Amino acid sequence: MKIPRLLQAILVLAGVYFGFIVVFDVILDAVIPSSLLAMYMFFTTAGVFMVFTYDEEQTQELVAPIKSLVEDPTKRAWRNIVFVVVPLAAGGGTYWQMQPSFEAPLELRTIHPAPPSTAKIYGKRVNLLKLENPFREVEKKDPEKFRELVNGGAAIYIQNCQYCHGDKLDGNGPYAAGLNPTPLNFQDVGTIAQLQESYLYWRIATGGPGLPKEAAPWISSMPVWQNFLKEDEIWKVILFLYDYTGHRPRSWEHE
Amino acid sequence: MMGGGLIRTVLLPAIAAGFLLLSPGLIAAKDGDGEKGETVYIKRCLQCHGDEGDGLGPAADRLNPPPRDFTLGLYKIKSSAFDADLVNDDDLFRMVRDGMPGTAMPGWGDMLSEQDMWDVITYIKSFAELEGTPEGQVDYGKQIESSPESIAAGKKYFLADDRCSECHGVEGRGDAIKKLKNDNGERTWPRNLTKPWTFRASNDPKDVFTRITVGIPTTQMPSFADPKSKKKLSIEERWHIANYVVSLAKTKKVVRPENTVIKAVRVEGDLPTSPDDPVWEGASPTTFFMVPQIVGKERFFKAANDTISVRAFYNSDKIGLLLEWDDRTKSIPGDAKAKSIAEGELTEDAIAVQFPVKIPTGMEKPYFLMGDTAKPVTLWRWSSGTTETAESAAIVDAQGFENLITRDTATDLTATGSYKAGTWRAVMTRSLRTDETDKDLQFEEGRFVPVAFFAWDGSNGEVDTRLAMTTWYWLLLTPSSGAKPLIFAIAVALLMGGVLVWWGRGAALRRKNAIS
Repeated sequence: MKIPRLLQAILVLAGVYFGFIVVFDVILDAVIPSSLLAMYMFFTTAGVFMVFTYDEEQTQELVAPIKSLVEDPTKRAWRNIVFVVVPLAAGGGTYWQMQPSFEAPLELRTIHPAPPSTAKIYGKRVNLLKLENPFREVEKKDPEKFRELVNGGAAIYIQNCQYCHGDKLDGNGPYAAGLNPTPLNFQDVGTIAQLQESYLYWRIATGGPGLPKEAAPWISSMPVWQNFLKEDEIWKVILFLYDYTGHRPRSWEHE
Repeated sequence: MMGGGLIRTVLLPAIAAGFLLLSPGLIAAKDGDGEKGETVYIKRCLQCHGDEGDGLGPAADRLNPPPRDFTLGLYKIKSSAFDADLVNDDDLFRMVRDGMPGTAMPGWGDMLSEQDMWDVITYIKSFAELEGTPEGQVDYGKQIESSPESIAAGKKYFLADDRCSECHGVEGRGDAIKKLKNDNGERTWPRNLTKPWTFRASNDPKDVFTRITVGIPTTQMPSFADPKSKKKLSIEERWHIANYVVSLAKTKKVVRPENTVIKAVRVEGDLPTSPDDPVWEGASPTTFFMVPQIVGKERFFKAANDTISVRAFYNSDKIGLLLEWDDRTKSIPGDAKAKSIAEGELTEDAIAVQFPVKIPTGMEKPYFLMGDTAKPVTLWRWSSGTTETAESAAIVDAQGFENLITRDTATDLTATGSYKAGTWRAVMTRSLRTDETDKDLQFEEGRFVPVAFFAWDGSNGEVDTRLAMTTWYWLLLTPSSGAKPLIFAIAVALLMGGVLVWWGRGAALRRKNAIS
């Protein structure tokens, strides 16, 4: 049995629409903004229309069911129903569309902004491109001492960071729900696993207020840790973050 | 060989399982390997609970509540009988798997395997050399399903002889009349029963029943099943109270993450000035979490307030905000009763609403924590007053914690607070527009205004930067949409209907012509 062309077109559009929703909202768990979806669907509809009206014969076939509904005298009852329902639906849609939206303004911010090449930390200008964790070399040289340094970092983390970033380093500490933006999840492969240790050092030492403008420094509740911790304490915490999550820091050289 | 394999893989576990089923309290428990558990403990638990298991990890004095001391073998959340020394392994397993809401203890179920968790439990028990099974279990009888009658009965027992209300308050908000301490001498505050997300186990009626029956060991929450207790209750009565407690959580004031906008409703005529005016019911509340201020200057880890609910009205020249927050203590310096339950020095309770000085045009706002020198903010501050001085309203111009200036000139900000059954309600009213356009935000209908809140509980040592805070949210003076959408809708419907009718008639006409 052949599916009527009009139904085919409608099925294609519905398939694309729900496809977007399934992929973004369900699989990626990133709800697609309705304005973006509307734009995608506009182009999809235009494309489908062009394909389905490629030549005269196909066009005739596409609009045949609509034409027959309007023009065929035997479909009078159906016609009357459609002539009432369609204008009412259009009116209702317009009314709903025109209601003012009280959704909060969308704030797009860069979560991992590009770092500056140098930054002023602890009163010194440091070159972030060259900066390395002074304790990293201990990892291979003296594993026992390295373990001590990591444990030191763990203690500092529990005293200072877990309230927001969580005991499990999953960004879900006891205060996380009260913060906006929410604290970063270090277990996620998209956070510290993608960054160099010098980047973490810069982010921890200068905190929210040290972010560039595209990252919205005014809303980040990350403290300025150079006011509370010593330089080597920050480096130890960084060791702990990588050790606990099992991630490796990115380095400049290819390994 | 095959026979041996069968015995090992099927029969022995089956026998073991059968044996376990016979011993109460060990229903789901599995044998753990203490040595493997130690490895898990060192990686996951030691930082808080300490390498000796005594709860004295590096953050012990900053955590609220402090980490459990395993060497005593006493646990707050247990389902063995109130007079049994031991807890069920199941109780420990639940705490490890699900964590304890409202504390730093997370649920480990998504990170550790079930076997890891049983191993670590075996290790944890070894700190107090806990062995064997508890001597008695909680008798649940037959659970009474919640109903209006059961809730009403529960409320009666809750209030009778001041049984529960003595600590939890007449409306369950934990508005203490007593100064409570745990066995360790640390200050504890009774649970606010309207906030189920702070219940250490859960607010399932069965869990609540268990707490009422067993009490909360190491705290002053007693067992109401203890036959020696003057306030003891039957199983049935305890189910009624459990149903009542669960019903207390069903309020409109809950945090919904998608609600980030306070929608001020436009009214004609005067705004309500009393916090107890029933007119406020006409604006629905938006509730936000508050967290201790651990970002700047003196960091503070033990703030008492954890939510704030806001409603707003506006008319042609004023805006009024109703702020509601649960506070266990009415802190009025000079008041003897307030002093007796205060932790540390008693100061005034206070609340502040923060606005930028200008509605931001782009994304950029002032720093959320009291602004900075580049972008100042304005605080509308209300203080509860003392026995000597009345409550007060003040406007503070802030450029960061270091730079707070209270305006000494009279302002048009008015504020009134009222305290009842563990909740402060304060109304703040101010003009939408002022003459000081460089210092004061000028409100405009339909524009999103950033807003943040700070709260101080004067009975919890909260002054200056020791406070509970929110980050930026929004306040919107919702414009009425007027008749425009309706007019457009009717026009579109008519147009559409017209086109269809015209098409249909045209077709009919052509048909007629073709026939004739």
